[in-house]
Amino acid sequence: MRGRPLLRTSYAQDLALLDTPAKRWWTAALLVLACALPFLLADDLLQLLAVCCVAAIGAIGLGLVTGYAGQVSLGHAFFLGIGAYTAAALSGDPDGRVIGLGVTDIALWLPAAGLVAALAGVLVAPLATRLRGLYLAIVTLGLVFIGQHVFNEWSALTGGAGVGRPAATLEFLGRPLAVTDAFATRDQKLFWLMLALLIVFAVAARNLARSRIGRAFTAIRDRDIAAGVIGVNLPRYKTLAFAVSSFYAGCAGALLYTVTGFFDPGSFSLLLSVQYIAMVLIGGAGTISGAIAGAFFITLLPRLTRELQAWVPFVSTQPNEVPNVFQVETILYGVLIIVFLIFEPRGLFGLWVRARTYWKAWPFSY
Amino acid sequence: MGKPTSRIALSAAVVLLAGTLTACRGGDTTTDASGLKTDVGVTSEPCPEAVDKNKGCIYLGIISDLTEGPFRALAVPITDAQKAFWKRVNTAGGIGDYEVDVTRYVRDNKYNPQTHNQVYQEIKPNVLALAQSLGSPTTGAILGDMKASNVIAAPAAWTSGYAFEDVIVESGANYCVESMNALDYAREAYSPKSVMAVHLAGDYGDDAAAGVKLAAQALGMTFTDVKTDSGADKQAGAIQAILAGKPDLVVLTMGPADAATIVGQAAARGFAGRFIGTSPTWNPALLQSPAAPALLAKYEQTAPWNTWTTDTPGHKALREALPGVTPNDGYTSGWVWSYPLKAALAKAVADGDLTRAGLVKAVKSLTNVDYEGMLPSGAGNYAAGPNDGAVRVTAIYKPDKASPTGVSQVRDLFTGPTAKAYTLDGPCYEKL
Repeated sequence: MRGRPLLRTSYAQDLALLDTPAKRWWTAALLVLACALPFLLADDLLQLLAVCCVAAIGAIGLGLVTGYAGQVSLGHAFFLGIGAYTAAALSGDPDGRVIGLGVTDIALWLPAAGLVAALAGVLVAPLATRLRGLYLAIVTLGLVFIGQHVFNEWSALTGGAGVGRPAATLEFLGRPLAVTDAFATRDQKLFWLMLALLIVFAVAARNLARSRIGRAFTAIRDRDIAAGVIGVNLPRYKTLAFAVSSFYAGCAGALLYTVTGFFDPGSFSLLLSVQYIAMVLIGGAGTISGAIAGAFFITLLPRLTRELQAWVPFVSTQPNEVPNVFQVETILYGVLIIVFLIFEPRGLFGLWVRARTYWKAWPFSY
Repeated sequence: MGKPTSRIALSAAVVLLAGTLTACRGGDTTTDASGLKTDVGVTSEPCPEAVDKNKGCIYLGIISDLTEGPFRALAVPITDAQKAFWKRVNTAGGIGDYEVDVTRYVRDNKYNPQTHNQVYQEIKPNVLALAQSLGSPTTGAILGDMKASNVIAAPAAWTSGYAFEDVIVESGANYCVESMNALDYAREAYSPKSVMAVHLAGDYGDDAAAGVKLAAQALGMTFTDVKTDSGADKQAGAIQAILAGKPDLVVLTMGPADAATIVGQAAARGFAGRFIGTSPTWNPALLQSPAAPALLAKYEQTAPWNTWTTDTPGHKALREALPGVTPNDGYTSGWVWSYPLKAALAKAVADGDLTRAGLVKAVKSLTNVDYEGMLPSGAGNYAAGPNDGAVRVTAIYKPDKASPTGVSQVRDLFTGPTAKAYTLDGPCYEKL
């Protein structure tokens, strides 16, 4: 089919991961740029981008259950917390003041964090098979509050409210993964590591989404009764959606705090869930690239508003003056969600699609 | 699919190529014109608000509870006092060929260890040391990294664990010793039989409660331990425990708003015992709160140094450096806490090594800090080790509407028999 790359002659072509040459080139260019970023940017930005990559893993997870399978979950913070504490407890110092088992290898604690969170997801899933829409959202909201209470009170594990504990150790086969040496700084390495993990998780999610399971998810989202009628086993696929989503959340939670190295039980509040919902909605529900874009956008937002301050001098950077960048940031979350839902429900991904179609038909675009 | 493989090969090639070209980033030791070694956070360019434009600049970070945490009413004055302290140092000629900047890297920790760690990581590449790290659990969150990177900090906290850390330049008696002195004082004043420690979780509250426990054991009082959370709406459990336990004395270790809630409500519901709060528990604004009558009647406060109005050269300099402010002992504390860091910086410059490692070495070799009379002579002996170097003096104050800081002295700086006899062989909070 040389010369007519968009003509499909088989299902395999139609379902290919990168089905057009343009996509292939874009992906390649993005990957090269991403790998080269550590040589182009300062360390503090790289650290932030590493956090973006981890947040993207979590957002992909929420995107799978909410965007693909249509099960609205406000409980993402709970699963992030379970992952974070599983990893931290596994890799913690056995002689420390909080629970620690001394298993410092990322190859062990990362899957373990994902699996424990997935197990929690499976336990919660029966709710999803019985409830729909708003009711499910409210029930998953309950999870966040239960999680908060347990995390705050179980101080042997979490250090307790206002005390916190160190996060998991980044070590692989006995060698620390993120320390500054002659080759690269800690932040450069962190970014590469998180980028590599993001690529692995993103490709896996994309593959899941274009498989039988992914099609079952979308069928449930679009109309669960119809999906049931055509033979999709609803309880099974809803459970699977929660399990996979929680696995992603668990892994993201485990990695999230390794960047700064310390976390407090107060982090796993409703605000964190809302942030992840915002990532999925602003990025574009039902797409992997949208979730990644949304995660980067929301995670970079505080930094962007702080940079914005240079152009808007009446906004202060001092937290004790009004109006300040922190208030602007909080307001922006809300405003952005409203604006996107009204003007571009497909999110950042939708904007990209618009730009793409505009240029595809250029100069005859209307 | 052939494409992905070639793509991976391409990106791998780019990474390898770029890797060979990696430039060194930061952290290099340089030697200035006068032969002084420096690395992070010291520049030959003048400070942004330099007094003498010919001098270089030492950047120190401040991480404090500036907006919404429980100690903001103390933290803002502490920070202002430290700015004034270092401005005075700069006006007096700075440290060697350098002036000190504490205004550029000021961050808010919201009294949350995670936020504290985050902002610490943010400013770490730009500062030599921390002029203030407010809070015990918050400082605990960065202690490991500070030790690994040789970052010195003057804490705005008094945990006994700091005596065992080389990277912390603490001042005054720790919470543990302070609580022992509080019990020694209480025994002489009204000989309580039973004592209850009501405290926040973590190093701050646990350390004071451990001191109460150890002293109660030594003095033959019964001891109960009640943990509470930060927030005026979360004290119901603690109040209930006080009313049920009816101790003769309650030692409070928490934020001022929490303390006012507990004292006010416990008294209103008929609790007849007395309260002693460790130093961060007090804020003069509490005298305007509904709990004021109860506080005036039943509350006393321990302090590691004397109040704003005291007549010493240090206190006088403090008052002159901050004209027109509403007196608050947050200012006094911020000022006192800055002396050892000044001494350490001066020592490091004298030793010709103002690198982070050099500063740690300078701290370890300090045998005496000139607090200009604000603490007894002999204080600030970091070379002597935890037990011999520990300062053990405490003053007792009571709320007083007539006094400018809202408190008046009950007893001048003293060391009680329990605190004197105690061997500091490990952080107290481990003994709770």
